[in-house]
Amino acid sequence: MKLAGLKSVDGAHEESIWAAAWAPAADHRPTALLLTGALDETVRAWRPDDLAAASPPARGHALGVLSLAAHPAGVIAAAVSLDSYIRVFDVDSGASVATLDAPPSEVWGVQFHPKGVALAAAGGGSGSVKLWDTEKWQPIASLPVPRPEGARPDKTGSGKFVLSVAWSPDGKLLACGSMDGTIAVYDAVRMKFLHHLEGHHMPVRSMVFSPVDPHVLFTGCDDSHIHIYDAKEKGLIGAMSGHASWVLSIDVSPDGMAVATGSSDRTVRLWDINARASVQTMSNHSDQVWAVAFRPPGGEGVRAGRLASASDDKSISLYDYS
Amino acid sequence: MSAPTAKQGAGEEEAERLLAAAKLNPNDGGPFRALGHHYARAGDAQRAARCYQRAVALDPDDAEAGEALCDLLDVDGKESLELAVCKESAGKSPRAFWAFRRLGYLQVHQNKWSEAIQSLQHSIRGYPTCADLWEALGLAYHRLGMFTASVKSYGRAIELDSSRVFALIESGNIQLMLGYFRKGVEQFRLALELAPRNHSAYFGLASALLAWSRHCVATGAFTWAANLLKEASEAAKACSSLTGNLSCVWKLHADTQLALARCFPWEHGDIKWGMDEHTFKASVLEWRNTCLSAANGAKLSYQRALHLTPWEANIHIDTAVCLDLICTMEENNSVDPIIWELPEKISLGGLMLEPVNKDFWVTLGSVSSNQALKQHSLIRALHLDMSLSEAWAYLGKIYRQSGHKQLARQAFDRARSIDPSLALPWAGMSAEDHNQYGAGAVNESYESCLRAVQILPLPEFQIGLGTIAARSGELLSPQVLMAVRQAVQRAPHYPESHNINGLVAEVRSDFQSAITSYQQAKFALDMMCRSKLDNRYPFVDVSLNLARSLCKAGLATDAARECEELKTKGLLNVDGLQIYAFALWKLGRHDEALSVSRNLAENLPSMKQESATGALGFICTLAYNITGKDSAALVIHTLPGQPSYNRELKFIISALDALQPNKRFQLPQLSTPPRLTSYEVMSEVHSNIALGKAIGGESNSCLGVEGGLSYLKKVLHMYPDCSLVRNHLGSLLLSGGDWTASHKAVRVTSLSHGHTSNRGLRSPHQIQACATVSCYATCTSYPKFSFPTCEDQYLSQYNALCNLQRLVHQEPWNQDARYLLVLAIFQKAREEKYPKHISTILKRLILQVLSSRSNSEEHKIVLYEKYLLLLLSSEISLQSDDHANCIAQATDALRVTSPSADAFFAHLQLCRAYVVRGDLSNSRKEYMKCLQNGTNTEIGWVMLKQLESLCSLNPGSDEIEINLKECIERKGSNPSKWASLFNLACAQSSMRVEDFASAEKALAQACAEKDADSCILFLNGALNMEIAWRYAAPQFINRAASSLRKAQQKSQATVPIVSLLLAQAEGSLGSKTKWEKNLRLEWFTWPPELRPAELYFQMHLLASQSTASGAPQQKQHQLLPETMQSPGAWLLRAIHQNPSCSRYWKALEQVVYV
Repeated sequence: MKLAGLKSVDGAHEESIWAAAWAPAADHRPTALLLTGALDETVRAWRPDDLAAASPPARGHALGVLSLAAHPAGVIAAAVSLDSYIRVFDVDSGASVATLDAPPSEVWGVQFHPKGVALAAAGGGSGSVKLWDTEKWQPIASLPVPRPEGARPDKTGSGKFVLSVAWSPDGKLLACGSMDGTIAVYDAVRMKFLHHLEGHHMPVRSMVFSPVDPHVLFTGCDDSHIHIYDAKEKGLIGAMSGHASWVLSIDVSPDGMAVATGSSDRTVRLWDINARASVQTMSNHSDQVWAVAFRPPGGEGVRAGRLASASDDKSISLYDYS
Repeated sequence: MSAPTAKQGAGEEEAERLLAAAKLNPNDGGPFRALGHHYARAGDAQRAARCYQRAVALDPDDAEAGEALCDLLDVDGKESLELAVCKESAGKSPRAFWAFRRLGYLQVHQNKWSEAIQSLQHSIRGYPTCADLWEALGLAYHRLGMFTASVKSYGRAIELDSSRVFALIESGNIQLMLGYFRKGVEQFRLALELAPRNHSAYFGLASALLAWSRHCVATGAFTWAANLLKEASEAAKACSSLTGNLSCVWKLHADTQLALARCFPWEHGDIKWGMDEHTFKASVLEWRNTCLSAANGAKLSYQRALHLTPWEANIHIDTAVCLDLICTMEENNSVDPIIWELPEKISLGGLMLEPVNKDFWVTLGSVSSNQALKQHSLIRALHLDMSLSEAWAYLGKIYRQSGHKQLARQAFDRARSIDPSLALPWAGMSAEDHNQYGAGAVNESYESCLRAVQILPLPEFQIGLGTIAARSGELLSPQVLMAVRQAVQRAPHYPESHNINGLVAEVRSDFQSAITSYQQAKFALDMMCRSKLDNRYPFVDVSLNLARSLCKAGLATDAARECEELKTKGLLNVDGLQIYAFALWKLGRHDEALSVSRNLAENLPSMKQESATGALGFICTLAYNITGKDSAALVIHTLPGQPSYNRELKFIISALDALQPNKRFQLPQLSTPPRLTSYEVMSEVHSNIALGKAIGGESNSCLGVEGGLSYLKKVLHMYPDCSLVRNHLGSLLLSGGDWTASHKAVRVTSLSHGHTSNRGLRSPHQIQACATVSCYATCTSYPKFSFPTCEDQYLSQYNALCNLQRLVHQEPWNQDARYLLVLAIFQKAREEKYPKHISTILKRLILQVLSSRSNSEEHKIVLYEKYLLLLLSSEISLQSDDHANCIAQATDALRVTSPSADAFFAHLQLCRAYVVRGDLSNSRKEYMKCLQNGTNTEIGWVMLKQLESLCSLNPGSDEIEINLKECIERKGSNPSKWASLFNLACAQSSMRVEDFASAEKALAQACAEKDADSCILFLNGALNMEIAWRYAAPQFINRAASSLRKAQQKSQATVPIVSLLLAQAEGSLGSKTKWEKNLRLEWFTWPPELRPAELYFQMHLLASQSTASGAPQQKQHQLLPETMQSPGAWLLRAIHQNPSCSRYWKALEQVVYV
């Protein structure tokens, strides 16, 4: 289990890069594509092995791209920008497919259902998760985050701010993380709130379910720790520490053996899940790392694992994971 | 009767024919094979065998004959002969796959694994889709210990034929052995679907689930483990019902039950706030009963196993362990040392069978309650094996219990060095270290205990970890949280686990959970107190914790009641007094609070140094909050002076100092050399002093910024990299009346990355954003929309907007950041003349901020921000010609204004909107309201002046000017700047009605002010030129030239058109060289892509001039812009840019015709 730097593109965007996602290989395109979104209001696509630009940048993501998610079929992707529009676009042509919003609240992280039937978005200040269907792009549901039993007095008084969202690989569970550190878990089939997961006390910016254990959830938090939860049985089953600052992004390898994290301490770390320990630290970025993403399985050259990271220093890096 | 005879006859005929065929061609195997079939049918096995043998000898590839021959031999039981036949054929031809297959099966049958593998691999080449072959190959690999290859072979077999139960079970077993429980479980489940009564599948499933659950327990997922174990226990039960006489099945069942008894978690998920004692006790009892019944089930199953195989020593030992668990759960310790306990007896039974088994001795040592027996058996175990780490660890435990510290430490040390993956010695060492003093020991203790918990999550270890963490300040660590939560699940009957859980929740400011936990701790104490008598001290601690949490959660009544309860019992200590006083103060019972604090003050001398200063600080703060600053000061003076104040106290003193400008403490402590105190504290203290200077400077409402500023500058010189001081300096600068404050403030504050420090008056981001919007000049860096007029262009060097966007991205919940972003984007929109897309974004953002602010409390600042946002929104509507919305939003803004906020600007906005709409009467009304309301902001008056003429009001009254002057005086701002701006407004109004004379007068006044702005000078010059042109008054050209010259100097030739106008003026005055020089300057003021047609035309003129004059200085021509192209080319470019101008065409005509 290790990472080896393959390539780094400095100045990949004109401004800080905030989001990265892999669009999986599709019928018409044999390889996966790396998408990155940045403060310079563009989304760019990169080839998977040499990081050559795959298409001209897609503009119009006003005020900067906050989060990116690719549809599992690899044809379309969704980008959220700071003006709170979700723009769904065709990965190859960049053509707009749909524009979604849920005024007046903000939209933060987005994630497609593992089967691609729905799009979930963290609803920011509205304190809820919003769901759209991916056929007609109509809103399906809005799942509010209930206050925990005997809620703590909220200082801002404006409720929760929902930052991140994740689907379990079997599509049965949906989790969302908020700025006060609570994580809400929903039954995604019946659209019902199940319970809160406790343990974090600062903003949970990123979360991902294990691809091998559909109810194991990994979360990265501003308290600089990574937690492992049993999301179904409501238990904290592991914690990993090592970052010196906020953990901004987290992704799990397709084999389910390792997680990678990007942090404010300007490093990317690789963690062994079984040993509950950090096995490698990459410090090639010179500013905080906002996104890490493992390439999904499928398409040509699937045997080689790939990890991409994007940072405030305007660069993206590609690593070989083996 | 005839038919069989006929058939027989036909058969004989056939045989004869075949014999003939064989004789004809004795080298063809075919007839012999057929003959063999014939004899076989006829039942003549011997002949058939001979024929087959012949066929095979002739053609070793003949699978049919070979198989038939082997079948015949097999029936007769001639295995060695069969083997020989196969080997012979295989040796003859590599294509005799049938022979290899047979051979392979036979070798598997004879357990010749490695040979079988070769044969099977060869035969698979011939029959690649034969599931049997793959299965056999898998088995062979399996037996040779080549597990991965075996799993692959079995997998292929299953792939070819999904009903292979054997392959499924065997591969499941291998997966289990390799530690892939999940895959193993999957395989066993598949096997059970195919064969629902297969006991080995059940056995495999149960053991796989058991192994999986052990893995879960090791990671701490107890609920998960319990669910798996329940399933495992059912599978084992099903297996035992199929085969009731297998001892190992019963043992497996017992093992699962025992594991369940050990890991079954207490479900506390649905605890409601205020859960009563009864429910808690009932749920704990229920949990205990579940565990106990599982343990009893385990005991019964062990008994059955023992009954079936009494000679198995390890079942004795297992039973002993199980009995020991039941004993500890039931807590019925017999005290009679002479009677042998049940676990001891059973384990002795095991030892009788295998007296040299060292592990059995260790078990005896651990289950026994007799110290001597324990020690003896452990030493026996060590006799058998000196490096038995468990024995050393238990020995250490015994020594520790009996008080032999040194021996215990040695034993633990030895155990740990033999086997570092054993939890007990780590825990033991941790406990040893914990008793020592000093930070190093505590850290060591924490690390050791953490290691123990990670190796083995026992509730006792976990509680220990929590206790050490509480002492060493590691309660926020997620490992501690996890351990403590698990401790609560596994040991709900221990009050310690609940208490520490409460501490962990409290440190995360989850006070409600903390309160619940403390209450549960009290209940658990209550449950325990029947057995133990002296539980006073833990009771006091838990109650104090509870009271503190109640206070923090804002439930002061309950907290006070808790304290009073303690007081009546006489158990209220110093900490309790503080909490009590605080709760009373919160409840508004001030007198009682003060008396309690007096009580506390009496106790001060007897306290330790650290807690004493803390208490003193508390008393001060309380006194300040109840009776004000004077009494707080009195407290400090009267109470015994400490030799060195700690940081909090210093902070309090400096704050008090700042609030009392007249009575300064003149504390000597504050002026001690900086090296003696910590850096951070001193910067805070100094900031306070600076604020004090600012407050104390004058008595009126305005801050005396200057004093604070000069002090802060000195402090910054001392602590150059202190962000707090920098922030303070920045915010003070901004609140001062300094004209260039915005630029200075930005340069003085530094943006930190990652962790924004939100201390100080304003955050650095806030200061930057304020600076961005507060510079009166446009500072756009992109000259497409407007030219930067700011004389000190600091802001263009960096992008404030991007920084704010980054801030919002980093702290999306931070509404202040969003608000600042709105302001910055508005500034951008203003600079770019309100383009449509930015207006849309702004409207969305404003809506977001307003909607998130709508449900927050009505704070003064929040109200003001709301007011401002509404005004911005109104302005955007105005700029996009949406008058109705503009007026509506401005009216909304009027509604939110609190008395302190400025209603002036809302009226001003309304007035502007009505003016644009052409609604004269309403606009006059609003104008009058503006006058009535008045404002403390200079720019308001200037803007009102601009509106005066638009409202068609008599400009004669100088009310506005008077107000403005008052305002300037009040705030002490720069009068000349404002006077020039005011005059500019006057001039603008005059120009609007084409009253050039008064406009000129006003502008001249504006220019006369000291340090006039380049734009005003420029305007004055342009106006003078206009007048000169309109009224043919050449004397104005002189004035124009002088103004324009000043403007050019001031702006350092960055503002376009100035030089052009100046060139014209100079030209009219007759100085040709100056005309040329200025035109050239003009060329450079424009960015290349924006140069207008007129500029090209002027260059044409310039170029034709210089060519006409004969180009005296050839060398310098390279540097002059007009020589870059020929005069004709300049002209053509001008026409290309603006073909509608007739002047250019005329010039072209001249060029062409001349």
